[in-house]
Amino acid sequence: MKSVEMVGIVKQYPNVKALDHVSFSLSKGEIHSLLGENGAGKSTLMKILYGMTMMDEGSISINGEVVNIKSPKDAIELGIGMVHQHFMLSPVMSVMENIIVNNEPKQGLFVDEKKAKKEVQDLIDRFNFNINAESKVQNLSVGEQQRVEILKAIYRGANILILDEPTAVLTPQEVDELFVIMSKLKEDNKSIIIITHKLKETLAIADKISVLRDGKMVKRDIPIKNVTVHDLAKFMVGRDVQLNVRRENKNMGDVYFKVENLSLEEKGIKVLKNINFSINSGEILGIAGIEGNGQTELIEVLTGLKKPTEGRFIKGDEELTGDAEKFIKNKVGHIPEDRHLRGLVVDLPIEDNLILGYHDKPEFMKNGLMQWKNIASFSNKAIDDFMIKTPSKNELVSSLSGGNQQKVVIARVFEQNPDVLIAAQPTRGVDVGATEYIHQELYKLRDEGKSILLISADLDEVRSLSDRIAVIYDGRIVSINKADEIDELQLGLYMTGGKDGESDEE
Amino acid sequence: MSILNQLPGILSSMLFMSIPLILAALGGVFSVRAGIMALGLESMILTGAFTAVVGSYFSGNAWIGLLCGIIGGMFFGLCHGILCIRYKVNQVISGIGLNLLATAATTLLMQIIWGNKGSSESVESIPIRLSFLKDIPIIGDIFGTQSILLLFTIILVILGWILLFKMPFGLRLRMVGENPKAASSVGIPVKRMKYIGVLICGALAGMAGAYLSIDNLNLFVRDMSASRGYIAVAIAILSRYNPIGVLVFGGLFGLSDAIQIYAQGYGVPSQLVQMIPYIVTLVVLTFGVKNIQPPAGVGEHDDE
Amino acid sequence: MKNEKLLNLLNSSSVLISFVSFVLAVLVSGVIMLLSGYDPLYAYSIIFEGSLGSLRAISNTLIQATPLIFTGLAFMIAKKATMINLGVEGQLYCGALVSAIVGMTPLGLPGFLHFIITLVSGVIAGALAGAFIGFLKVKFGSNEVITTTMTNFIIINFCDYLVNYPLKSEGAVAQTDSMLPETLLPKILSSYQITYAIVIAVIAAIVIKFILDQTRFGYEIKVVGLNMIAGETAGIHVKKIMMLGMSLSGSLAGLAGATHVMSVGKRFISGFSPGYGFSGISVSALASDSPLGIILAGIIFGALKTGSMYLNMSSKIPTEFVSVIQALVVIFVSAPLLIKSIIGLDRKPKGGK
Repeated sequence: MKSVEMVGIVKQYPNVKALDHVSFSLSKGEIHSLLGENGAGKSTLMKILYGMTMMDEGSISINGEVVNIKSPKDAIELGIGMVHQHFMLSPVMSVMENIIVNNEPKQGLFVDEKKAKKEVQDLIDRFNFNINAESKVQNLSVGEQQRVEILKAIYRGANILILDEPTAVLTPQEVDELFVIMSKLKEDNKSIIIITHKLKETLAIADKISVLRDGKMVKRDIPIKNVTVHDLAKFMVGRDVQLNVRRENKNMGDVYFKVENLSLEEKGIKVLKNINFSINSGEILGIAGIEGNGQTELIEVLTGLKKPTEGRFIKGDEELTGDAEKFIKNKVGHIPEDRHLRGLVVDLPIEDNLILGYHDKPEFMKNGLMQWKNIASFSNKAIDDFMIKTPSKNELVSSLSGGNQQKVVIARVFEQNPDVLIAAQPTRGVDVGATEYIHQELYKLRDEGKSILLISADLDEVRSLSDRIAVIYDGRIVSINKADEIDELQLGLYMTGGKDGESDEE
Repeated sequence: MSILNQLPGILSSMLFMSIPLILAALGGVFSVRAGIMALGLESMILTGAFTAVVGSYFSGNAWIGLLCGIIGGMFFGLCHGILCIRYKVNQVISGIGLNLLATAATTLLMQIIWGNKGSSESVESIPIRLSFLKDIPIIGDIFGTQSILLLFTIILVILGWILLFKMPFGLRLRMVGENPKAASSVGIPVKRMKYIGVLICGALAGMAGAYLSIDNLNLFVRDMSASRGYIAVAIAILSRYNPIGVLVFGGLFGLSDAIQIYAQGYGVPSQLVQMIPYIVTLVVLTFGVKNIQPPAGVGEHDDE
Repeated sequence: MKNEKLLNLLNSSSVLISFVSFVLAVLVSGVIMLLSGYDPLYAYSIIFEGSLGSLRAISNTLIQATPLIFTGLAFMIAKKATMINLGVEGQLYCGALVSAIVGMTPLGLPGFLHFIITLVSGVIAGALAGAFIGFLKVKFGSNEVITTTMTNFIIINFCDYLVNYPLKSEGAVAQTDSMLPETLLPKILSSYQITYAIVIAVIAAIVIKFILDQTRFGYEIKVVGLNMIAGETAGIHVKKIMMLGMSLSGSLAGLAGATHVMSVGKRFISGFSPGYGFSGISVSALASDSPLGIILAGIIFGALKTGSMYLNMSSKIPTEFVSVIQALVVIFVSAPLLIKSIIGLDRKPKGGK
């Protein structure tokens, strides 16, 4: 008897068929990897199972019984738990409050806090999690927050666990720890579905693999013995792909951009501590690190958005000072880490977005007046150059797909031919096609002799693109190495502060 | 007359003036905790004041008036809820639109019912005072003439605190306000909780309005809420959305009102002293709100 | 299928949303009239006649429309800069008071210069009042909805104090002395009350449209209004834009006050504004924030106001119906989903079966 049996699931969204007669099953005590690219339909399928999205057609049985799941509440009652990619936690509330909410132990009309504390702490101890039930979630590390999410599901009696991209935010070491937890859960006879697009991890942990592509189930229940990473990649993308091939760098120049003794203090806390590095012309320097170790602040300082407490930047022969406007004028380009937050005004047309930040250049503006004619021809060129899929430059950016939105950001910066590029998460939330394209563009810029700083949470991306890799931990650069001289394991150690290396250069 | 002799009188006025502010701000706390901005409070107070008078006028019973006031406030709370939750209207605009509507509608209805643009006829007002305290020295001066609603107010604040921080409902409501998606993912009916939040808000604000019209006075006066809804929003913010804080800041703003009344007795032009509560609000809000964050989910329109 | 086409039009066209909202607001008010025993058809026909039925009526309508166009523009510009400026009313008082004071004081200047100074001083007063709110927001993060509400009270009470005490002219009414004739706006037609104020209002709308569409400030205010953080990232000085936006908003409100005392009031009279500032919210809502639309919306609400006063003279129907219509327009326009569901366009196209 299967724990989960989903048959012929169809989900139609206004413009796309997200799921097209997809079937999926999960056996008891099995770890099943649901593999697919962004937008393949993995999350939609699992949201249907968890009652967050309604299916248009199909049927679901849990433990052999056909069920009708209309809401997460129904799913929870059926013993289904979900650990979401974006944690479903309130940072200002305690671990305990986050875990018990809507399943509170009661004493009369009141929450039985004593009992709640004991239950939660027992659960934490059972899995050796080393978290205090009373800490506020905002004081926990990302890995710890994920454990709280897992506990939340277990506390509600989940036997079937759905983990949505659980490794996306973790360090290699934390990934290993997660896998230990998963094995433990498996021993506990829980069934686990892990949604991912990471192939190596899939092979490391899963018992069986199913692959979704463009809303269709292309492979079902493959035992891991029978496949290689390359097979999986092929199933996933539908054609042969080159995995992580680094492009040789042949014309690296001398030091062009230099950061000296950079520190930043915010609200009395030092968030950046004495950072030093330099980038040569024609070089990509990657910054690896777990999110929240100062990357965001580093980007903000390097783009003039925040003034450093100490330190200076040198570009070419000159010192760089001033605010964001000044930095942009001095040809420091910026691909923001969150395009919706910082990068785009999605309710404005593409053309307005293509000049954002450069709108006061003489070709776009004269005597305080916008030169819409020039802007139009520029926009049409940029749309062509970067193959942005849109009927017209006048469409709102919100009408574009994620990949094309990111291309707008890329086009804007690249068309202005920056000397230094601060590229933060350049391919986040972008499909494989666009990712490949963006990587090619980054290489092109590098080969033109520009200096690129790449900050990415995706360690694979950092490793494949960078010429050198620096690791940021707790606001400090703890190591800088040539990319081919450091392996994943060592990077992971640096990233978790487990190894405090003097950089091997300088 | 020394200021010491005046003190019981000032404190007494302070309590008088703080009751509606505390009630309304407490309502605001519930609304914001559920993730809905409380800028429509003004409309709920005004409508509550009006419907309380209407209820008292037609029934001849002030208690029925009070009930009508609460229902009137809840009606506007519900309107705010429907606009914000169901129709995803910008919460600020919805609040302002309803405030405009309440001003217009109460004046219009007043004219239709009583044929007068400025005020209604006199009606029965709430009769019970805390007169059993009258004979105690000082305390009697301060509390003896207060309405029974003062007692209700204090009880409601305490109940509100228990509900929010000690009971399952409060934990769920706070989760809805902080992270509606998280709340929904553990099976909390987010929309229903939000409606409950704005309805509690409307009821309390309606009660505040009823206090103004059929307790403090015995008639409805055009625009009698006099921006107390906005002051209540400021109180809710300053109290960090905690009922106990509402009591404190409500008292503070009540005091500024009391000083206004007190100063009028000394021949200062009324136009000037009437500015006091608004200046106090402006100053306190300007310098007092650093680092106060509303619940993270406020203003969000979540498609569960 | 026809429904679907209509739906597309609705989605794309804010004009239609505004139109339907207005019709609905008028209908709802009509129902209220009916329930309170008045004949809405009669009422609306009288309103129409009283606002557009004669040259005099049209002149009165345009007089009423003038401040509404200014306050509509004022509210809209602040909104573009992410600020909900409920303080238009207070800023309008500032403009009116300062213009009145400057206009009544003999300065020994040539008439035309005195006229200009009178107008400009009102504008500056409004701009400063607006900038103050912007400053509180930018510097302290104070919620502008509350600060504007508070400053409205403070300003209006203070003006009241001035015209009741230090600036009070002789007589029973709380008002200043009358302004010098050369500081008043001339009439367009000698036999009607209407002055060139309406022309200034229309020019203001056109200028605002030009600013928004064609200038750097217009581009930057759009960016900041729609995504402040993206604006900051692009090197736009967000706080400066917000301050400028609020100052521009305040100066338009000041212009409303100045032109009002320079044409209708001829002096500052206590409580002269029947809430022009708040009506501006409805005007900008009905125009869905389009500057030229605001001219039309201002005239529509001006006509309603004029007509309702005419109605009030000839029957007992209260003028407050107009305020109800204005409030409902704000609510309806801000709720396109509600409008769609009311006219039956919210049903999703059926898929699958």
